[in-house]
Amino acid sequence: MEVKLDRINKKFGAVHVLKDIDLVFPSRKFVTLLGPSGCGKTTLLRMIAGLEEVTQGAIRFGGRDVTKLAPRDRNIAMVFQSYALYPQMTVRKNLGYGLRVRKTPKIEIDSAVERVAKILEIDHLLDRKPGQLSGGQRQRVALGRAMVRKPDIFLMDEPLSNLDAKLRVTMRGELRKFHLDLNATTIYVTHDQLEAMTMSDYIAVMHQGVLQQFGTPEQIYNKPANIFVASFIGSPPMNFLTGAVDGTNIIVNGVALNLPSHAAALSGRELQLGIRPQDLVLTDQKSGSLPGTVSLVELLGSEKLIEVELEGGNHLTVQVNADHNTRLRETVHLKLKPDRAHLFDRESGEAVLRQIAA
Amino acid sequence: MNRFFPSSARKALLYLTLALVTFFVCFPLVWALSTSLKPKSEIFATPPILIPRTMTLENYEALLTGRQQYYQADPKAAVSGPSPAAFFTRWFMNSMIVTIGSTLISIVVSTLAAYSLTRFRYWGRSSIPYFSLLGYMVPSIIFVFPLFLMMVRLELTDSLWSLILGYVCITLPFCMWLMWAFMRSIPLEIEEAALIDGASRYQAFANVVLPTALPGIIAASIFSMIVSWNDYLFGRVFMNSLDNFTLTVGVMLFFEGTHVDWGLLMAASVLMTLPMAILFMMLQRHLVAGFGAGAVKG
Repeated sequence: MEVKLDRINKKFGAVHVLKDIDLVFPSRKFVTLLGPSGCGKTTLLRMIAGLEEVTQGAIRFGGRDVTKLAPRDRNIAMVFQSYALYPQMTVRKNLGYGLRVRKTPKIEIDSAVERVAKILEIDHLLDRKPGQLSGGQRQRVALGRAMVRKPDIFLMDEPLSNLDAKLRVTMRGELRKFHLDLNATTIYVTHDQLEAMTMSDYIAVMHQGVLQQFGTPEQIYNKPANIFVASFIGSPPMNFLTGAVDGTNIIVNGVALNLPSHAAALSGRELQLGIRPQDLVLTDQKSGSLPGTVSLVELLGSEKLIEVELEGGNHLTVQVNADHNTRLRETVHLKLKPDRAHLFDRESGEAVLRQIAA
Repeated sequence: MNRFFPSSARKALLYLTLALVTFFVCFPLVWALSTSLKPKSEIFATPPILIPRTMTLENYEALLTGRQQYYQADPKAAVSGPSPAAFFTRWFMNSMIVTIGSTLISIVVSTLAAYSLTRFRYWGRSSIPYFSLLGYMVPSIIFVFPLFLMMVRLELTDSLWSLILGYVCITLPFCMWLMWAFMRSIPLEIEEAALIDGASRYQAFANVVLPTALPGIIAASIFSMIVSWNDYLFGRVFMNSLDNFTLTVGVMLFFEGTHVDWGLLMAASVLMTLPMAILFMMLQRHLVAGFGAGAVKG
C-alpha cells in the first residue's frame, strides 16, 4: 500500500520539528528515513503510526486519509527500538496479542503464532517471558508480533540499534528477506547510513525537520542534492574545498583541477568542491595537482586512509590500497577524478553541477 | 582489616549482631503470644516463665465467642456495661471493613491518577506528585480536627465511612506518589505497541500497564493497609459508640478498668497482628520479585 505525506508539519509548542514534508512511499518498497538524531525522523514515523498528532497536513494510505485515525484502525505494525515486548506475557501471548484484541478465533491465533514462530525460528521459546530472552531473540519476537497480523504497512524504529555489531549484520540481511516475503510497504528509521544503504529501495534523508533528498541509495550516494546529504552519506565522509570555477577547471590553492566539461556553465563562480576520499588519486605529476603533507595514515585492512594537510591548513582524506607505501610527513600530490567531483553553492549548499547535468 | 579479623570471626560477629537485633524485635511478640496462651495463674508467676506449663486457648475463646468468663466489668470504671471482649469480633470486622475500603479507594484513585500524570500532558503534571508528597509529610494529627469538623458537616461521624474517607486522606498522597514513580518506570512504548496491535486505550491500560504495575500496586496496598489497620487517632476521634470502634481503639478499653486482664489483652494483640503478618508473608515474594523485574529494564 502506498503511503503519501502531504505537507506534513509538526510543532511541539513553539518548536517546529517537521516542516512541510511531502513524501510518497511507493507500495511494497523498503524506504528508509535517514538522518542524525533530532532530525524528526522518529516523530514522522510516529505520526504515520498514529501515535503522534499531525499539526498540519495529511497522511494517506492508498488514497485513504488516515490523518485522524487511531493507530488500531490503520492496519500497521511497528517494531520499536526497545522492542516494547509485554513483560508479563509469554512469547506466545506477545505474538498473539494483536489477534486476541481483534477477537480472532483461538484456533486461528494458535496457527498464526506457530507459523510466524517457525519462520523466525523462535518456536522453542514460545513459553518463555521476554525477561528470559537474549537481545536477538527479543528482536525476533518483536518482529514476529508485527508479522503475525499481516499488516499493510510495516514501521520500524531503529530496530537494530540495541544489537551487537555481528548480530546487526545478520539481522540486516534477514530484515531485507522478511520484507521481500511479506510484500508490505516498509518504513524504516535509522541514523546508520550503512543500514540505509544496504537495505533500502529508497532513502529519504532528513535534517532539522526538513526533507533533504529522496532517492535510491545510488542516487543519494552519487548525486547528493546538497552539502548536508553529501557530508552525511559516505564513510569516510566527503572532503570539501572552496574554489573558483574557471572554464572546466576549479582553482583551489592556486592549482587548477580538472572538472567535467559541462562545469564550464558555472565559470566565474566561487563554489564548494566536494570529493569523496576514494575519488582522490595520489600522483607523481606536479602540475595540475594539489601538494600536501601526509599527517595521518590509518590502515583499515583492505585499504588505507591517508590524511593530507594542504597549504593553508585544509585537510583531505584520501583512500588508497592497503599496500600503498606512504610515510608520515611525506609530501604528496593529489588529483581528483573529474567526473566524480561535486559542486555546491556556498550560500544555499545546493548541488549545482548535478542540476546542470540533469 | 582483613588481616587482623579472620573471616570466621567477622561472620560470628555478624550473626551475633543479627541475633541481638532479632531478639529485640521479636521478644515482645513472643512474650505476647506466650502470655496469651497462659492460664491466669501463670501470668504473674515469679520468676516469669516464657513457655507456659499448661497451654490454654481460653483467652482466644473468650475473644472470639464474646463470653465474659474472665473479665468482670468494674461498675465504677469509665466503661460500664458489657465487657470489651464481647465486642472483639465486631471491632475486628470494623477494622477489616475500613482497612479494605480505604485501601481499595486509595489504590484505584492513585493508580488512575498516576496513569494520567505520566501519560497525558497538562498543566501541573510534573509538580502535582511532589505536592502530594508534601501533604503526606504533614503529621496526621494536624488533619484530624479539620477532618472531624468536615465529617460532622457531612453527618458521617460515628460511621465507618468517616474512617474510610479519613484513611484515604492520609494514605492517598503517598500511594499516588509511589504509583507515579512506578508508572514512570513503565516504558511508554509497550503501551503504544498495544495500541498499534489493535488495543483501545482502556485495553492497553488493563492488559499491559496494570499487570506491569502490579508490584507497585502491591507495595502501595501494603502501605495503605498498615496505616489504616494500625491507626488509633482517627478511630478515637471520629467514633463514639462501642459498636463502631475499630480494634486499636477497642483494645484500649481492656485497660480502662481497675483490673487489666493481660491474657485477654495479649490474645487480642496477637489476633490483631495476625492479618498483617499473613498479608506480608503472602505478598512479600511478589513484592521482591516485582521490584526486581521493574528495575531491570529489558
